[in-house]
Amino acid sequence: MSVVRVMGPDSAPGPAVPWRKVLWERQPFPDNYVDQRFLEELRRNEGIRQYRYWAVVKEAGFVGQQLSCVAIFITLWLYMEQGLLSPERLLLTSLVCALLGYGLHQALTSQMESGCELRTRLADLQSATIFLSFTFGFSPVLKTLTESVSTDTVYAMSAVMLLAHLVSFPYAHPSTPGSLSLNAALFASVCLASRLPGALHTFAMLSCALLVFAMWPCLLQRLRENAPSQFTGLCVGVCIGGVGGLGSQSPGGAVLLALALGSVTLLCPLLLVMLQRHKDNIQGPWDEAEIHEDISHFLH
Amino acid sequence: MVLKIFFPQCCNRADSGLLVGRWISGHDSAVVLAVIHYPFIPGQVKQYVQQMQAKSGVELSVLGSWSLPKEGQEGMESFLRDLSTIFPQQRWLQIHREIGKTGFTCEVLNRDQNGRVVQQETKKKSKKVEEEDGEAGGDKEEQEEEEEEEKVIFVHYEQRKVMLSQLHPIQNGVPDPKTDPPSELRQMFQTVATSQPLFFMDRYDDGPLKSTHWQSEGREASIIVELLKQASVPLCLLISWLLSIWTWICNIRIFSLYPLRWLSSKLSTCVQLSYKTEHMRTLSSAKPAAGHTQFMRKANILVSFLVDVALGMLLISWLYRDNHIAMLANTLVPAADHVAKELDELLQWLMGAPAGLKMNRALDQVLGRFFLYHIHLWISYIHLMSPFIEGILWYGGLSACLGLTFALSLLSDMVALLTFHIYCFYVYGARLYCLKIYGLSSLWRLFRGKKWNVLRQRVDSCSYDLDQLFIGTLLFTVLLFLLPTTALYYLVFTLLRLVVVLFQGVLHLSVDFINSFPLFAVGLRIFRPYRLAEGVKFRVLCEEPGTALHLLMEINPLKFSTVVQMYRTPTYSCYPKDSWAALVKKLFVGELIYPWRHKTIKTE
Repeated sequence: MSVVRVMGPDSAPGPAVPWRKVLWERQPFPDNYVDQRFLEELRRNEGIRQYRYWAVVKEAGFVGQQLSCVAIFITLWLYMEQGLLSPERLLLTSLVCALLGYGLHQALTSQMESGCELRTRLADLQSATIFLSFTFGFSPVLKTLTESVSTDTVYAMSAVMLLAHLVSFPYAHPSTPGSLSLNAALFASVCLASRLPGALHTFAMLSCALLVFAMWPCLLQRLRENAPSQFTGLCVGVCIGGVGGLGSQSPGGAVLLALALGSVTLLCPLLLVMLQRHKDNIQGPWDEAEIHEDISHFLH
Repeated sequence: MVLKIFFPQCCNRADSGLLVGRWISGHDSAVVLAVIHYPFIPGQVKQYVQQMQAKSGVELSVLGSWSLPKEGQEGMESFLRDLSTIFPQQRWLQIHREIGKTGFTCEVLNRDQNGRVVQQETKKKSKKVEEEDGEAGGDKEEQEEEEEEEKVIFVHYEQRKVMLSQLHPIQNGVPDPKTDPPSELRQMFQTVATSQPLFFMDRYDDGPLKSTHWQSEGREASIIVELLKQASVPLCLLISWLLSIWTWICNIRIFSLYPLRWLSSKLSTCVQLSYKTEHMRTLSSAKPAAGHTQFMRKANILVSFLVDVALGMLLISWLYRDNHIAMLANTLVPAADHVAKELDELLQWLMGAPAGLKMNRALDQVLGRFFLYHIHLWISYIHLMSPFIEGILWYGGLSACLGLTFALSLLSDMVALLTFHIYCFYVYGARLYCLKIYGLSSLWRLFRGKKWNVLRQRVDSCSYDLDQLFIGTLLFTVLLFLLPTTALYYLVFTLLRLVVVLFQGVLHLSVDFINSFPLFAVGLRIFRPYRLAEGVKFRVLCEEPGTALHLLMEINPLKFSTVVQMYRTPTYSCYPKDSWAALVKKLFVGELIYPWRHKTIKTE
């Protein structure tokens, strides 16, 4: 600060007394007077974190794998719809995956040994029973639910809901899935499942959706916390699986997915790191002016 | 200062004499009520005035003298002035009218502290044009003449009309002394109205005093009125005895049991009955009506009742003449059948693809079959009833002798009973729809991860468990996709219900109209417009420079709308209690709508 100037509307009288930034004392200065020490308290880019490219890519991998999860789910649905995958096999695979995942989850949790409230096995069993029984009971109803609704409408709704799931997914703390994201994904999966040929198909599809959208993020978060190296590998694996699966049904979709994954995991972090140089955020001893636009004021 | 003298028109040609009336306190004005003619003994006049004062409660006094000299009578001036010493007053008016002239002359004698009579030369000759050709109407205008100290304005009024009229708005009871005293005009009206005993003295009475004031032309009709009055006493007694029996029957414990009471509050016939009972009780009460309002209320009720019964009799004479009852009964059952058939077709249409809408087939079939079964039940019920319908109609028609309103209420109830299936459909549809709407609204909050905080009456965010989320979303999806089907059924049955409610509402409104319309007040307004006064207007009779102003006071009758509004008999009014917006909101949310009020709020 080479330019020293007195800020304030009036030139102050001869400052025999040094100015203090208090209002409770009578001083020979106007209330809005400040002296040249004002800008000494200016701070720039406080608490900034310097990102490194590969660290950001690693974190962005989570977004990529969630995208791939959606792709995998859609692939499974496509297989089911065309009758290439029988519901029994899907159910069996899901069951095995669920048991394996649950075991892994328990193992990782016991490793952590943090005393925060742990769900008992009984509660988990209860939840699982509720899921299965409700899904099984509702699957005939769900089957006929969208019978009279046109297929395009169902597809559009599912697409919008899956997009909403991806947008509102809490990538920072996925262990407690956000309500909106999970609900949107479930809604989309119910819509899609109701297009399948039989009630058992619907049931299998919904169980699979539960596994992919509700359980998998919890397990992945545990992995990220406890085994970061495996986490990266898993993300890459899921991404490859998603692209490959979609490729088997629609190569065009696979290319699009691959492009999206590339831009999300590689291009966007690069942009972030490059643009960080231009960040200029100032803070100081002032109150920021806020403009409360009162629209009703303009109506009269 | 302007001295206003309210002068009755009937005294314009009275013989000379004393002016009896009242000074209106607080205002510089006098109301002349009567003229007492010569010859009289002053003591008797004083006694008479005191007597009248005691009877009517008006501060009567002798205001001054009035002279209209006949041919050959001259030299009254000094005599008139002497009279003022006999009747000591603060002011003494000497009103003089000359033969052949229409103007009045007024002299005001002020009495100062010492008792000396000071005469102010305020002679004013004023030509009074005949009332009939007073051309330009206009409000009272201030006269501005500097040479006179005290100006006099004559306001001519028609004594009979002013006496009978009631100035609105009505002020009941004794006015509070703390508040402003009543206006000059109101005081004047009160004075004339309360000094009725003064007008009882007849022109042809053989009393010591002769006077001129308003007199009834004759009392020929009054004999009949008296006879009626005599007859009404035993009639009232009889009615009140019958009423007491009726009340006793109504108060038997079995009628106050819950289901019966609830039923009777919903049946408009019962409501009408209790309402009529209340009216008859008001009519047959032994106490005379206190005050103008109560009198008008009684009269309105009586006239409405008579008109009602007359209309009911007309209805009966039509019903029982050419066997109309049997005709009605014979058309009623096929009509009900027809309605049921139409409903059946409507349901079949709904169970298909109505208007190209895609509904959930399974739910559609379930609902349609349920309603079809209901209609089937209903038709069997109607056919079971059909032999008795003629009898029911025959006895129900008799109730019209209690009045047209009663018959209409009965009709409304019968319509309600005959369209009970529509009501049932509506209730089922509405309940289902309401359940869905509420479920969807709360599940939509769950969908967004919010919840309704009852304590703070707002939406809070909330973290749900995984299973809660899963079940909630599942139900949300199911409800959302089933909503159109339910909504369509709800819409169709609500429209049907609205038709019935509209019909019943029209019946209720007409009943209410007959019950509450102030027929007597409106008749009074038409045939005797001066009886209900809203105010007065003044017409200038004579205004020449240098003469007193003569004004004619005419009564402004009350507006018709005000009459109806003011004298409407308060009823259990069945006007729609909701605004249109509230009604639409209720319909949208799926709350039940009824033509009747839930709570009988007396708008007393």
